Amino acid sequence: MILAIESSCDETAAALVDRDGALRASVVASQAQLHARYGGVVPEVASRRHLELCIPVVERALEEAGATLDDVDAVAVTEGPGLIGALLVGLATAKALAFARGLPLIPVDHLHGHIASLYLGPEPLEPPFLLLLASGGHTLLAEVDHREPGMRVIGQTLDDAAGEAFDKGARLLGLGYPGGAALERLARDGDDAAHDFGVAMAGRPGFDFSFSGLKTALRNAVMASGGSDAERADLAASYQRAIVRSLVSRTMQAVDASGRDTLAVVGGVAANGVLRGALEDACAGAGVKLALAPLALCSDNAAMIASAARYCRPVPFPEYLSRDAYATA
Amino acid sequence: MLLLALDTATDAATACLARDGEVLAESMTLGRSTAAQRLLDDINHLTRAARVSLEELDAVVAGTGPGTFTGLRIGLASARALGFGLGIPVHGVGTLDALLSGDGVDVACIDARRGEVFCKGAGIETCALAPERLAELLPDGAVVAGDGAVRYREQLAAAAIPPDGSPLHVPWARYHATLSALWGPADPLYVRAPDADRSIAGAAS
Ligand SMILES: [Zn+2]
Repeated sequence: MILAIESSCDETAAALVDRDGALRASVVASQAQLHARYGGVVPEVASRRHLELCIPVVERALEEAGATLDDVDAVAVTEGPGLIGALLVGLATAKALAFARGLPLIPVDHLHGHIASLYLGPEPLEPPFLLLLASGGHTLLAEVDHREPGMRVIGQTLDDAAGEAFDKGARLLGLGYPGGAALERLARDGDDAAHDFGVAMAGRPGFDFSFSGLKTALRNAVMASGGSDAERADLAASYQRAIVRSLVSRTMQAVDASGRDTLAVVGGVAANGVLRGALEDACAGAGVKLALAPLALCSDNAAMIASAARYCRPVPFPEYLSRDAYATA
Repeated sequence: MLLLALDTATDAATACLARDGEVLAESMTLGRSTAAQRLLDDINHLTRAARVSLEELDAVVAGTGPGTFTGLRIGLASARALGFGLGIPVHGVGTLDALLSGDGVDVACIDARRGEVFCKGAGIETCALAPERLAELLPDGAVVAGDGAVRYREQLAAAAIPPDGSPLHVPWARYHATLSALWGPADPLYVRAPDADRSIAGAAS
């Protein structure tokens, strides 16, 4: 089986996947609590924590799978993009582990990993499809034609990522970090039509996104509001609706233009219930098949890295010993 | 007892294979940020030169810093994964202690960037301070070694600093491998808190 390690941001994760794509174990040690006091991910703090957690997380994954290192026949690892210091901890661990065991190394691109969260059993998705990847670090639309690395990006955010927009909105509403899930909870009690934050880029050609204007609109609305719980809930609901509408309208335009009959949605923001519901409605209306990443595999994890590794070229020993990580795609 | 030792806390990444206190093969790769990334390649070459395989190792010993945060972590992550993969213990040796093991060295001094050095020896406990401050603390004629001593030769004028190319400035992994009295846990010695912690503390005070 493949052992995968992921450490590109603030989750330290390890997973084991069988050669036939069955997930045997997936362990994610989130550092979210650690970074909450800083109001965001601090790279040096994340890197220190990755070093503490990396081997223990691998040990737990093996335990969960009832396996030992003898059962592992390749080591996969996220090589980029991400925080360079964080990536290097996982990469050094994976390389040395492969070296010690005489195994090949499978370097995986983090974005390919997110897409591959859809390739695990029991119902693995078959390309081609149109992809929406929305997370704290990325927001893009792409055409995917095969399971191997490589996609054709047709649109992306020009400023903040959608997940970043959620986090920044949460901070403006005093919900702390990470705030995406908290904002969704607060929005449940609010009226999503209370404020009209508009839909960024509406009417503009192309498939790019923009979320920074939305954030400014929210800041102004927060300052103008009285700050009562009901008002904050209205603001959260309206803000969330604006992000979701922007994502859904752009995505459905792209589906239409590409002529694809399947839409796949992955990344941390794909866990948002309102977005999932809106996509389901839009796809049902348009007669498009919708594939949503499993909830457990939306935010960063190593199962998706192990899944992607099945479609990547293993690098034989000793070629991988001096491989380096990359911060940007 | 066959040991693999390594230290990537400074710009001179070192590795060594030693059996029962005898050095079998040794390497040193220079270069900011790239040196640590070459570590496993260097170790592979050492095993070939010494005609040993990793499976024969009894333990791994890693330099625990202080030094550059990223370089230090690459070394410790590698050492821990080698130990885990081979099922053998991993020990740690302070990089300043390794430098202090050099012949006649009184004070170890590693470049800490931002106008400071990490130092230890002659009654000075491990700390980060400005080289001018270290100069005040040094006993007359103290022998100071390490890349920090080379960089701040001018500020440390009263000290006896070996010539720039001297091997005394390098934390050779042979010290880690042969001086088992120095072995401790393989945990990083950062000395400095992350900047974010310091700005939080600053805002609170
Ligand atoms: Zn991600």
